[in-house]
Amino acid sequence: MTLKILAALTLLAGAVQAQSVTGKAFGTYVNVAGIVSQSPIATLPSTGGMATGQADAFGVAGSVDASQLNAVTTGAVDNKQTGAQSTSEVEGVSAAAGAITADIVTAVATSYFGQFIGGSDATGSGFTNLAVNRVPVTDEVAPNTRVNLPGVGYAILNEQIPTGDGVTSWGMTVNMIHVVLQDVLGLTTGEIIIGSASSSVSK
Amino acid sequence: MNKARHFSLALCAVAAVLVAAACQDAASPQRTITAGITPPPKGGGSCANFRLTGGGRVDKPEPLLGKNTPDSHDFATFGFQARPTGCPSTDGSGNLEWNEHNPAAYGGGFAFHGTVTFFTTPLDETAGTTGCGRFGGFGRINPKNGSTTQLVPFQVFHACDVAEPGVGKDHIFIAIGPIGDGGPTYQRHSLLSGGNIQWHKLTGN
Repeated sequence: MTLKILAALTLLAGAVQAQSVTGKAFGTYVNVAGIVSQSPIATLPSTGGMATGQADAFGVAGSVDASQLNAVTTGAVDNKQTGAQSTSEVEGVSAAAGAITADIVTAVATSYFGQFIGGSDATGSGFTNLAVNRVPVTDEVAPNTRVNLPGVGYAILNEQIPTGDGVTSWGMTVNMIHVVLQDVLGLTTGEIIIGSASSSVSK
Repeated sequence: MNKARHFSLALCAVAAVLVAAACQDAASPQRTITAGITPPPKGGGSCANFRLTGGGRVDKPEPLLGKNTPDSHDFATFGFQARPTGCPSTDGSGNLEWNEHNPAAYGGGFAFHGTVTFFTTPLDETAGTTGCGRFGGFGRINPKNGSTTQLVPFQVFHACDVAEPGVGKDHIFIAIGPIGDGGPTYQRHSLLSGGNIQWHKLTGN
């Protein structure tokens, strides 16, 4: 009898411990020829809670100019429902020497599961007054839209990378602007990420 | 032995009074900035046996759904965690971040960083609804145009976890202010256009 109770308690503890959340958000990341600069990162504790990463301004000459960088991630682990949600906002954005500009870049990544449902999405992400190669983009930008940046490389806009198996784990990473820097031969020399939010849950 | 203990306790009490007085003097210049600030109305509501977490984006006023046009800049993003101390107390703890982009809002838009001091069941039309909670406290508001104001009260009249996923279903009603002495109070009451709110029963941790 005692052994059965111990086994049940062990299984219960295992079930609770298996549940986890992750969350991360940041405003900007720049890697040019191996030299990395990054704005403050908000990283969610594995047990849930809240974290922030903020800066009034961020700049790397020729790569990024931005202001009002706000990254927040929150989440909670629970037997019945678990969730993590991350947001990143950056204002006054100019990337790759002005090849991409925007008034506001917003990334939202949400992951959750309840008793019967789980999922993740990037709903709420978007651009305000986006321009690419100095041409305004007035339509909603579809996920994973590739644009060429002459003399720079290319960019993936509204990059959405789902993670998890969709059965016991769900996750999403959103990079609103992901510039891949290339040399004249087309070889990658660096990257710029602006407006990044990610979250995941597992049970 | 007892006398010595009583003497040291008395010394501690005197020291505590002196330290408190010194702290009040040191803090007084900051308090003058916020003179006349109304504390968040903690009264009412019942102690709660649950906590709330959430984050995401809000645009149109409830009951409208979806995002506003990008050129309006009329949206806010947020994140919070809030929990009660535990019944019978209605004290609470946690944090709230609120970033308002609407240029017509206070300061041409602002960032607000709040600390939760109370947590109860809601008092408004969501009272009695499972999944909804009320909390508030004080925080710092950084407007785009203007100077920072400290110790600004805020209250989330309700944050409601209606469904998973929460977009278009979960909702939040927040008031921040009055901002400064007799200043304006900001409000936003919206269904989520991104993100999620979750209600969690307290389990003792």
